[in-house]
Amino acid sequence: MKNILPPTAMSRRGFLALTGAVTLTASVSACAVGGGNASASGGSTVKFWDMPWGDKNYTDAAQSLAQAYKPGDGMPGVSYQQVNWDGFNQTFSSAIASNTGPAVSTGGGFQAFQFAKQGAIAYADNLIDSFKKDGTYDDFLPHTLDAMKTSDGYVGIPWNLDVQVFWYRKSILDQIGATPPQSWDDVLDVAKKASAKGYVGFGISGGSGNYGPMAVLSLMINNGGGLFNSNGDLDVVNDRNAEAVDFLTELVKQGAVDPGSVSMKDDDLTTLWTNKKVALGFQSPAFNNVVGDEKDVLVTDPLKSRRGEVGGLYYVNNIMMYKNTPSQAGSEAFTSYYIKNMKTLWQKGVMQGLPALKSITELPEFKANAQNTAVVEKWQPICKTTAAQSSALTAKLATIDGGQAMTDFCQTVLAGKTPSKTILTKLESDIKAAIS
Amino acid sequence: MSTSVRRTEPPLTVRTPTHEPRNRRRRSSPGRAPATKLFLILPSVVILILTNAYPIAYAAFQALHNGSLISPGEFVGVDNFAKVLADPAFWRAAGFTAVFAVAGVFGSWIIGIAIALLLRTRIPAKGLLKTILLLPWVVPIVVSAMSWNWLIGTSSSPVPTIFHALGFGDAIFLSDPLGAQITVCLFEIWVNFPFMMLMMSAALSSVDESIYEAAKIDGASARQQFRYMTLPIIAKPTYISWVLMAIFCVNDFPTVYLLTHGGPVGATNTLVVLAYKTVFQNFQTGPGVAIAFLMTLALAIVAVLLFRQIRKSTSQ
Repeated sequence: MKNILPPTAMSRRGFLALTGAVTLTASVSACAVGGGNASASGGSTVKFWDMPWGDKNYTDAAQSLAQAYKPGDGMPGVSYQQVNWDGFNQTFSSAIASNTGPAVSTGGGFQAFQFAKQGAIAYADNLIDSFKKDGTYDDFLPHTLDAMKTSDGYVGIPWNLDVQVFWYRKSILDQIGATPPQSWDDVLDVAKKASAKGYVGFGISGGSGNYGPMAVLSLMINNGGGLFNSNGDLDVVNDRNAEAVDFLTELVKQGAVDPGSVSMKDDDLTTLWTNKKVALGFQSPAFNNVVGDEKDVLVTDPLKSRRGEVGGLYYVNNIMMYKNTPSQAGSEAFTSYYIKNMKTLWQKGVMQGLPALKSITELPEFKANAQNTAVVEKWQPICKTTAAQSSALTAKLATIDGGQAMTDFCQTVLAGKTPSKTILTKLESDIKAAIS
Repeated sequence: MSTSVRRTEPPLTVRTPTHEPRNRRRRSSPGRAPATKLFLILPSVVILILTNAYPIAYAAFQALHNGSLISPGEFVGVDNFAKVLADPAFWRAAGFTAVFAVAGVFGSWIIGIAIALLLRTRIPAKGLLKTILLLPWVVPIVVSAMSWNWLIGTSSSPVPTIFHALGFGDAIFLSDPLGAQITVCLFEIWVNFPFMMLMMSAALSSVDESIYEAAKIDGASARQQFRYMTLPIIAKPTYISWVLMAIFCVNDFPTVYLLTHGGPVGATNTLVVLAYKTVFQNFQTGPGVAIAFLMTLALAIVAVLLFRQIRKSTSQ
């Protein structure tokens, strides 16, 4: 056979030597990855990871805000990256485990507690001290900073609140001759009437996402129940929770809930709201902006449960700092900047949650959406966290919130076939197994 | 009649190509020193260790500890395996994984071979038809899953609307555990039958048409030709495709997760989805990795059994 290689082609020994050298270099390089904090955190840049917290314009606004940060002398700059909610736990856990995670991030409501337990969080006590000195501390809404406090320090800084409030579509209620519901009985009545006219009476999504389980938990807290007792011990199987589950089961049996709710995804439910097919349901603040119908989608007053009680669920979403940073001072400087300038996100109207700062709730741009004021004044003060009836937030809540136990629980309730105490017993057992 | 059909088999068992390279290999390196051979395979071994062995070893380490992805935690021995094996959710997921894999393998194979046989006949626009049939396999799984979700996901989706109009009531397939399981299996078959079609087309293309003519002369019916000639002739590629498809199905995360997230109430959890949820939703890394190991073990047993079957079919 003719030799097609030029005379100067590499000899077999040369090829072997080169292969060996390349392999060795690759091995050494691979071992070096993640070996240094500075390189892992993006060199001299503070990596800021952010979630999609609002409408389609949110990312651009948040990125502009981050990029407008001008670091002081010797401080690192900032890079912005958005992380999707879908699989965000995996994204953060994998990145932090491989030292390629962020230096500062937003994230799940209990994410900071979870990573603090695993030793990855840089506590924010210094930053809180600086806020006390410059007066920012007093600007936070009541109880929000306390919610971040653990025995080891502050795991994060509150920046927005996701309050689960009850919404109704006025045009549908007008059509069926109903007024906004004020109690569970009203909800049942209005939802039945709306369903009879071909609408989804009570919108809830049990498929993927977390809105379905949040709605069920909202009703449990509304009735004075919850997942824990005031001592912080698991307390799921009780009459208050059973009444909330029974109420939902009744809605299902009366045909007021879409038969596909068990598997309905959050996005599909939002689409149904946007298409004016849903009469009532729990959603986050500024939901009327999300569905593009500020005048027709409105907030009810807090609902009175069958026991005549009011209450609801809210999340204190926070900005957290990680130990894996090129400069802790740089992380703190950027976080401080972001908290003090985040009002632009509400001024631009791109945020869905409530601001954690009182001064922002007083901005005319925020008040322009009348529903925002209603949420701040009527709903936020009566809301409790996932830890209800306890007030102590812990790492185990990260497992419960959005976890498999709550998803299965919500889907079983929406199937409408299992007695409430049986469902609650299963939930308690699943939560125990998950947090054990 | 079957005896006369079997008479045609010997000329088809062509084994010459397997002998030739073996002889050539012997001739080309008769006295190569073991050290040189070792040196030649060293780069591959190093790369393999870095990319496979290290993650597997680290996963084994995690399976024996009670830590998280970030911190290793304490050594707990085989507690994680015991915990997983005592969990009814594991056995439910294992059961559905078996159903899902069997449905995926044989469902896609039956459709794949049927279409492959059809494509051997004279039909118009065969090329275009082949291209269209390949689409489910070529289109990214995210797009396919979104399309299926749009078609069947909610009560106002097109398929439930049609069912409702035809008087079948509320047909929300993904809300009912059995409906969701059937839907997920059908989706798997739909996504994978083009692969089987390609494998079987390739296998059938190596079959000499003259043996069918001989069988016809001997009076073999079409069913007999398929049962006693086609199937034995394509046995080896069939078993290989089954092994591959079984691995695809058992390891298939996106199909289930994108369509149902393992729901409703865990009805469509496969082992790989359960492992994912255990690690990333319940943050129990040890038990999650233990599930993955048990799954790999089961898969290895299935693969060994099928490979044994392949060897058997080759030696016959």
